[in-house]
Amino acid sequence: MINMTEAGQGLDKAIKVTKIDVALPEQEELERELHDFLQWLKPMLAVDTTGAEQVLNGLDTVNVMREDHVRQGNLAELQEAAPDFAGGFYMVPPIIE
Amino acid sequence: MELRKVSIRQAAEAVNSGEVSAHQLIEETLNNCSVLNEGLNIFTHIAGIDALEQAKAIDRKIEKGEKLPLAGLPVAVKDDICYGVLPTSFGSTAFKEFISPYTATAVEKLMDAGAIVIGKTNLDDMSLGSSTASSPFGPTVNPWNTEYTASSAGAAAVATGVCMLVLESDCGGALRQGASHCGVFGLRPTRGRVSRYGLNTYSSSFGQVGITAISGENIIGALEIISGFDGKDASTAVCKDRPTGKNNVPDFEDLRIGCPAAAFDHLEPELREEYEKARQVYADQGLQFIDLDLSLLSEALQAYYVIVLAESSSNHSRFDGIRFGAAEEAGNLEELYCKSRGAILGREGRRRSIFGTLLLRKGNYDLYYRQALRIWNLVRREFTNALTYCDLLMLPAVKTLPRLSAAEPDFLDSWSDDLFCAPVSLSGLPALSLPAGQLQGIPVGLQLVGRPFSEEILVTVADRVVREVKFFPYGNS
Repeated sequence: MINMTEAGQGLDKAIKVTKIDVALPEQEELERELHDFLQWLKPMLAVDTTGAEQVLNGLDTVNVMREDHVRQGNLAELQEAAPDFAGGFYMVPPIIE
Repeated sequence: MELRKVSIRQAAEAVNSGEVSAHQLIEETLNNCSVLNEGLNIFTHIAGIDALEQAKAIDRKIEKGEKLPLAGLPVAVKDDICYGVLPTSFGSTAFKEFISPYTATAVEKLMDAGAIVIGKTNLDDMSLGSSTASSPFGPTVNPWNTEYTASSAGAAAVATGVCMLVLESDCGGALRQGASHCGVFGLRPTRGRVSRYGLNTYSSSFGQVGITAISGENIIGALEIISGFDGKDASTAVCKDRPTGKNNVPDFEDLRIGCPAAAFDHLEPELREEYEKARQVYADQGLQFIDLDLSLLSEALQAYYVIVLAESSSNHSRFDGIRFGAAEEAGNLEELYCKSRGAILGREGRRRSIFGTLLLRKGNYDLYYRQALRIWNLVRREFTNALTYCDLLMLPAVKTLPRLSAAEPDFLDSWSDDLFCAPVSLSGLPALSLPAGQLQGIPVGLQLVGRPFSEEILVTVADRVVREVKFFPYGNS
């Protein structure tokens, strides 16, 4: 169940983490507003969400994945395209002296 | 040419045929903008010589025989959407003179089609609101009754006839509520339909680029131009091939509209009566109504605010005086961050960032944030299920009349204004706000919600009903 006091006490820390200069009168106002806000959220906390997954992406689209298997390429062709090939490694010129 | 009385197709035809030049049209429009802006405070920036130069370029293209679908038409862009020619303030005085190094994809597409941006429209502090009441540049006045705000400056621009289209952002319903309060049409497209590249939104999950126009026909004409996959926005869908033609619109007699009767209980009696009248008009046109239960509207609104507060605390962290925004005088780095952020963010921005950070704290994260994400899922299910046996859903667009220009509303009252729009944002579905009546001389709008990528159906239904029952506040154009 919601612990209003604990949430409210977090305001000071939240202001610090957010790195925003807040004058004292505004901070006092924020405390009142936070209390009202948390009260306002109460119906949401009472909703039975058993079995409901969290939505992590608003889109229904999915990644199109190809089958993950080894394909036999033409190794000789690849070796020919490389500047050099030795001992199973592709050799390229150094780019940092 | 009176822009409110012609469609974009007719206006572009007049320019393409040489009946009127783009330069002449834009010059006249810019003069009107300046006059209107003094009274209504619609624009944060009005284009000058740049727009006239662009108009000349369009005229040269036409002389060479080119035909453009939006030839020389004046459009505006909300000031949280980047346009590399005019400043983009994001609703903050800290960025009043900031010129974006790039232009949003949707704006570019309109310009490629021949449209000319005549100005940037006003918005709330960092776009955090649906009323323009918190704008650091002052609220936009409602053209129907100057005691009230317009809610959306773009809607006011269209209602006054100074431009034919406005590209606007919509998170929790600013665009749709503005359209409602100004008696025009406002479309929030299906999520993924229009590129968000160049939109500075506080909410990555819900911020979208939508269109405001005087008619549904103009909206669909613009949508066809700006929609489609954009390599700069991975969330766009490949939707150019999706059907938008009128062939896909079922006969009126076959259309079933889901209407959650209980939702209307949230309204003041006078407003409810207006909506009931509008609903009867739809029924008289042969549309069938099905009562349905959207049981989570209030909780969806609360979940929406938990999510957007969390997201704005993260998205606005970059406004720190070093990455973005001017740095304040300070003795050390920590002080510089605190002072600069305190100055860049307005009262609403500070409130949202602090509350958002608090909601993401250990302990609160599970209690509030995860719960909100689960409710998001339930809300999407509710809407999707309803649209398995209904073709469209009908909801009010607004909960109240717009704010009085001089009033400073309580923050929870302001957030509660999104009651009918924010849950639709959670659903990801397309929604169209359209004129439905008037109360105390202020237009009142309805919201039609459709299946994904069904904007053509929404617009066709809306245009027909509005035309036949003369809801259209500017005459039966």
